[in-house]
Amino acid sequence: MKARLQLAYVGMHPDRRAELERLHGSPEAVLDAIRKGRIEVPDRARRAGLVPAAERLEQLARAGIAISFREELPRHLAELPDAPDLLFVRGAVPSARGVAVVGSRRATSYGMSLARRYGVALAHAGWPVVSGLARGVDGAAHRGVLDAHGCGIAVLGCGPDVWYPREHEELGRALVANNGAVVTEYPPGTPPNGWRFPPRNRIISGLSGVVVVVEAAKTGGALITARRALAQGREVFAVPGDVDRSTSEGCNRVIRDGAVPVFDAEDLIEAVSLVLGPPRTPAPLDNVPADGEPVDDLVGRTIDELAVERPVSEVLARVARLEALGIVRREGGRVVKGR
Amino acid sequence: MFATVTSVALVGVEPRPVRVEVHIGVPKDRFALVGLPDTAVREAKDRVRSAIVQSGFQFPNRTVTVNLAPADIPKVGSAYDLPIALGVLAAAGSVPPTVGSIVALGELALDGTVRAARGGLGAGVVARDTGLPCVVSVESAAEARRVPGAEVRAVRSLSEAVAVALGTTPGAPIRPAADSTPPTMVDLSEVRGQALGRRALEVAAAGRHPVLLWGPPGSGKTMLAVRMAGILPPLGEEERLEVAQVWDAAGRSGRAEMPPFRSPHHSATMPAIIGGGSGVPVPGEISLAHKGVLFLDELGEFPINILNALRQPLESGWVVVSRKGVSVRFPSDFQLVAATNPCPCGYAGDRLRPCSCSVPAIDRYRRRLSGPLLDRFDLRVSIPRPPRGDLLGPEGESSQAVAGRVEAAWAMQSERGGSNGRLGRGELDALEWTPNARQLLDSAIERFALTGRGFDRIRRVARTIADLAGAGPVDEPHIAEALSFRGEW
Repeated sequence: MKARLQLAYVGMHPDRRAELERLHGSPEAVLDAIRKGRIEVPDRARRAGLVPAAERLEQLARAGIAISFREELPRHLAELPDAPDLLFVRGAVPSARGVAVVGSRRATSYGMSLARRYGVALAHAGWPVVSGLARGVDGAAHRGVLDAHGCGIAVLGCGPDVWYPREHEELGRALVANNGAVVTEYPPGTPPNGWRFPPRNRIISGLSGVVVVVEAAKTGGALITARRALAQGREVFAVPGDVDRSTSEGCNRVIRDGAVPVFDAEDLIEAVSLVLGPPRTPAPLDNVPADGEPVDDLVGRTIDELAVERPVSEVLARVARLEALGIVRREGGRVVKGR
Repeated sequence: MFATVTSVALVGVEPRPVRVEVHIGVPKDRFALVGLPDTAVREAKDRVRSAIVQSGFQFPNRTVTVNLAPADIPKVGSAYDLPIALGVLAAAGSVPPTVGSIVALGELALDGTVRAARGGLGAGVVARDTGLPCVVSVESAAEARRVPGAEVRAVRSLSEAVAVALGTTPGAPIRPAADSTPPTMVDLSEVRGQALGRRALEVAAAGRHPVLLWGPPGSGKTMLAVRMAGILPPLGEEERLEVAQVWDAAGRSGRAEMPPFRSPHHSATMPAIIGGGSGVPVPGEISLAHKGVLFLDELGEFPINILNALRQPLESGWVVVSRKGVSVRFPSDFQLVAATNPCPCGYAGDRLRPCSCSVPAIDRYRRRLSGPLLDRFDLRVSIPRPPRGDLLGPEGESSQAVAGRVEAAWAMQSERGGSNGRLGRGELDALEWTPNARQLLDSAIERFALTGRGFDRIRRVARTIADLAGAGPVDEPHIAEALSFRGEW
């Protein structure tokens, strides 16, 4: 345990660290080799790795940062072959699988507003929303989660005490305050180096059952997350966009490669519930009781699901009546609002 | 120098008595066979000659003329070997002429062994109608015995047939017909979840409505459809005989207690599905499915001319097949179940998997299904892919429980005069509806832009749902549920 914590403070690239551990056999051996100079790391990193674990724990406690070793992490993350050995955690990581909302940092307003609406809807449905606390789509999704007082997780590409971008510190702290979490595998003080972000993305998808790419250019972190997600066996959804706009090229490409296109928030909820199961709280997206009959208990569910609670003939009759009134319709087997 | 033996010919599935007349003339080696025989019947000459000699009798060294009367019914197959041989022996005086007072049917081996032939059940019917005992092979005897009131004798060889015909031995023991229905049929209880699909099957069976299930691959369409026969009430005595006759005419034996389930592949030919074949027509799949279930999987893959040919039998319950001057009528009162993907790749409209078909390809696919046949499907149900949890859910209701409700609904319909699936517009107009039901129907016409036929379908299905509920006049909830089986593409 001590060696693992100390090793985390060296702040190596996760792939390199995993490779070294494989070669030397144990975290203790790696740490020993670093100490003896047999593994080349920057001086500062070597010194950081030599600070006793007890002292580190004290520093963390003072900063209000917890650590979770791999075996303490939610299973869906811990079971990945390239799972982080430990995470620095502000707040608490929910055990349920979440939904990642990722996208360009240079998002359009359309992408931002969509991400925010997705955040609201997903949080309302009771799923943790995972993103990267970056500008653009990430931030918008996190804000949507806060709008709905839901649970959000931000995975950083820097130390847990380094807020990047600066202006998102408040946002990150708000997530923690709302039963969410801010997590990173990099030790306190780690700057947001560019190479630290691609490994970070595997944690975003690792914490999620579904990854939604909202807006992405042809090259970009969001696509790395999408690829990682596919490799981890996660479902990837993407919002289709204009073919001649660079901001949607990435999304359109992943759709062509097999990602599921998603449209509005309702559509997303339906699609996600196919993967993660029905929402915990049937989302009252925009309570439209027509003729005084609330339909929220129907929306987003299939006849088969509804038939668990009521006789199927009753369910069918009720849905058909609402269809005749133009309040709901069935789409792909699910009840959705609108005619 | 003249003798007759009675035998049987099938016209469609209907057995008709045939008189096998044999005349022995002047000393000359000539063996003539007349009376519309086909090639297999002509070959009887050689088999009969050898069988007679091998059985220890003398083949007359004179002209032998065999006439199969009436001459206008085509005779096919090898079933006339036995009556011809008996007739030759009687006419030649080798055995007493009383040998001819039986109904005989069977193929002869060169050594005189009697083999099974098509029409065993028909022999039983002719035996009952003429009051003569029927003498057939052991296998055919099991079929003939299905006919109540027929005296059936099983024989293994020509000499035994002579002995039985003369009344000197009772014949070989008759084994009961093997039931070709597998003892353990697939049960509806094995289907987890799928509340919608189950209900659709139940309603379809209860009113004998054609039902179309559509959805992506793996959604459970086929799994549901193959369980359709199990929720039909067991066959009655008369129906069993009808079914057995069709199967007998098709040269298949051993149909029995359960409603048949037929699932022809979409590459099957028109004669295989509708009935026909060269020479005398034989029943096709739609007739083998008589009183049972015809399941067309991948409906969109069937040739359009076959689909169109299903319409008339679907409406009337029988099919007329004509071949070279012969026109026969086969019963084909089947419950139609069809399944199809929504598009060639199967994933159009699926939530998780994108469809890989081009828009024109989807259009073409659907055009095939649309039109006159699709119009006949009273229920069209979209079966979505079940969520993962459903695969682990509790067992569903058993087929038997559903069959009980279906039977009760059938009883209500037979009191009114016929199954709801066949109700015409006039009969539908005459049905009773509650005011609320009328109101919902009116708004549905507007909201869903129902056509006249669509409107009729809704009313037919609603009546069945009311029957399942044991209701008198059709009420609003019945209409509402029927609307949900409207299934737009």
